[in-house]
Amino acid sequence: MSEKPGREARTFFVDTRFQRLARRPGGVPRDQAIENAQAKIDAGQPEFEAWLDGQLHELVDIVRQVQAGTADPAWSAAIASHCRQLRDVGTTMGFVLLTFVANNLCEMLESTNGAQCNLELIACHVDALLLARQEQYRKLRPEQLPELTAGLRRVAEFAESTSIAPDDAGTPSGQ
Amino acid sequence: MANPNINLRDLMILIADPSPYLCMLVHGILRGFGANKVIEVRHSFGVIETLVGQKVDILLCDSRLPPHGGLSLTRAIRRNTENENRTMPILIMTSDTREAAIRNARDVGANMVVAKPLSPAGLYDRLAWVAFNPRQFVDSETYFGPDRRFKIEGYPGGVGRRKGDRVVEVAEEVGPALAQDDIDSLFNAARTGQN
Repeated sequence: MSEKPGREARTFFVDTRFQRLARRPGGVPRDQAIENAQAKIDAGQPEFEAWLDGQLHELVDIVRQVQAGTADPAWSAAIASHCRQLRDVGTTMGFVLLTFVANNLCEMLESTNGAQCNLELIACHVDALLLARQEQYRKLRPEQLPELTAGLRRVAEFAESTSIAPDDAGTPSGQ
Repeated sequence: MANPNINLRDLMILIADPSPYLCMLVHGILRGFGANKVIEVRHSFGVIETLVGQKVDILLCDSRLPPHGGLSLTRAIRRNTENENRTMPILIMTSDTREAAIRNARDVGANMVVAKPLSPAGLYDRLAWVAFNPRQFVDSETYFGPDRRFKIEGYPGGVGRRKGDRVVEVAEEVGPALAQDDIDSLFNAARTGQN
């Protein structure tokens, strides 16, 4: 940084190229633009479902490997990465419940602040993700499944209150 | 202006997110909006490389972009006096919409925060907001970026009040009011230090 200490703040106006060009006439009208974008999303559904199945398959595999003691040491980070990806696109693709469950799992992993998380609690979320992927559940909102959502929230709270410090986490708990 | 149209044709849009699927999804949405020049990268180094190589008109950046996060990257872009893209609009995409997270994004010089999961309408409106509401830039010892003072919180007396503004409750009058002479004498006493 080449800023000199103690200098006064200055303000100036910038009309960026983005702003100049985006304001040009001739753009796609808002409603049409949103409709076009939604059409692209809808057209990508089969590809999304294949991708989603791949992500869920990998999550199930990681849980199995941890249970068998053959998982990569960074398995927790791998689960968090898959989970974030599911959370970030689920609702956009019409899988609202999927985003809720993935978000709950992400928050649970983050709240343990690097400590090893109870594997059973993760497995329970992975089961819920598999449920949320099913056709009859995919369009349901979390409030339509109060028992499931309340249960997952309790699980996350429990995980936070019982997280194990990283130094004590040689093997995952819950095995 | 309500819901103005934006023209994204020929604008160079850079999407930076570690998730290939999310990049593809945002790319598709932008194409639906009429964008025809979209680049995707997965990490900060990709962003830096792209910015060195060409002019980018707007950056959509994940807040957790590896390796150091999208906020660090935004701060670095804003503070690099050699970078011609220093003033480009930057939208931070994040699933963390807590107030502190939004404030952090604002304080590193982001123009706007877009919540993940994205919706086409939400993204369109934020792009339109950036296009049609240019803000002054502030260059100070500790901050370089768009002016952070852009939210009007409301005005006294209902002038310019928005529907969402909170009404300030004033206590109801109880007992007889003071006469003007009494009020004047109280103020006079206060001014002269008497009680």
